[in-house]
Amino acid sequence: MTKIAKTVALALVPMAMLVQRAIAQGPPNRGNPQAASVSSDTDTRAYNKRDFNGLWARNPQAYGLPRCPECADPGPWPPASYGFLGTPPPRTPEGQKRFDMNKPGRGFELGSEEANRRTDLDIGMRRAVLPAFGNDPEARCEPLGLARLITFSGGGATMEMIHSQANDRILQRFEWTWDNREIWLDGRRIPNVDDYLPRYNGYSTARWEGDTLVVTSTGFDDRQWLDQYGYPISEKAVLEERWERPSPNRLRVQLTLTDPATYAAPWKSSLKVWTLIPKDKMAVGGWSGILEDRCVPSDEQKFNEFRDHAAGKK
Amino acid sequence: MKKAHRTVLTTVAALLLVTPVVAAHHGSAISYDTTHLWSTWATVTSFSYQNPHPTMMFDRTTKDGTVEHWVSELLTNPSVLARAGWTRGKSVDALKAGTRVKLYVGTSRAGGHSGIVMKIENEQGENIVGDRSDVKAVDLDGVPNGLQPTGEKKLPGQPGA
Repeated sequence: MTKIAKTVALALVPMAMLVQRAIAQGPPNRGNPQAASVSSDTDTRAYNKRDFNGLWARNPQAYGLPRCPECADPGPWPPASYGFLGTPPPRTPEGQKRFDMNKPGRGFELGSEEANRRTDLDIGMRRAVLPAFGNDPEARCEPLGLARLITFSGGGATMEMIHSQANDRILQRFEWTWDNREIWLDGRRIPNVDDYLPRYNGYSTARWEGDTLVVTSTGFDDRQWLDQYGYPISEKAVLEERWERPSPNRLRVQLTLTDPATYAAPWKSSLKVWTLIPKDKMAVGGWSGILEDRCVPSDEQKFNEFRDHAAGKK
Repeated sequence: MKKAHRTVLTTVAALLLVTPVVAAHHGSAISYDTTHLWSTWATVTSFSYQNPHPTMMFDRTTKDGTVEHWVSELLTNPSVLARAGWTRGKSVDALKAGTRVKLYVGTSRAGGHSGIVMKIENEQGENIVGDRSDVKAVDLDGVPNGLQPTGEKKLPGQPGA
């Protein structure tokens, strides 16, 4: 081996390690929700920008399709596959009190080297405990809640959008936990929260602003977590979603949570992007469509016995 | 290609092929030491294709002839397995009780005979019930207790510790 080659090889060692580290860590969280706004879809066929019908997934590679770089969350590592809104605003005293009661089992482990090093991240992403000692409602198969359903990116991260025939609503179906919500387009107003029982997915109305579907929701059951890190939400929070179809094969949304009881400022999410999955690609044994991937309490209980055993929980 | 160029490319390729960090799933990355994987031959005693993660019990025999009974979960969940072609019927058939398999395991953080199975190979060396062909592990076949955690933080341990 020549001296030059040796020098080049040695110089490439730290470079390659940096590349490998970047691959492992994923895109850094710079708190810029617009960072992933460019669509990597190269399909130039004409399409209807207001047609959201179809099967959509955050992980198209799970269906044998090319990867979608912008579909990955620009969040912290470990990846926030069970719900990640983005960088949070400061919490109010009441918000902090409720935040402190939640013990997530995901994120950097409290007191770990990574948790101590990543001080650029809010403590919510650096306080994980062993799941056996946490209180994530998902571990009891309680409903995920709207924000967490939308921002879930694990597994196939699959959802279906269906425009009703009367065009008065859009039905959104989520594979993990087999949940759904209605987005009403018939001109109704969002309800006065005190007149209605709160719901996990709230009450949603929508209007079109150009080719952007603007959805406004409120009336949330406040037992839900906003994401996998245990950020709380109050009943009277208002969640605005701005949905767009920037290319034939991409759907994206940006969420803004306004919850003055819990957060001192509106919380603007990072952009969440999906890829359109052809029906034949989303099939198991010839049966296409989203799976009935329910969280069944008896299944979860059995799983939790393993989880508790792994944690040495008596 | 000149030898020097081959050396440079080999160096870079080797560094990029270092085992990638494992994605957290259902909190499993915290419950188990998935950064220190080890492999062993084992015999399946039971397998359940269930949500949120399949579970498997297996026996492994140490060099001194002791049989260890292990419990484990698989990292990959059924919906992903099914879409990767590992449907329930095919998976259950591939992991019938008595089947001999090579397992790539991360021991539970609390130690003991509990772990997460990251990859499974059959006796022909084929990757089964999963598609994680890139998983790397240290071979501890026959070593009592495999890789056990130690110390206050329970990370990582010495073989047989």
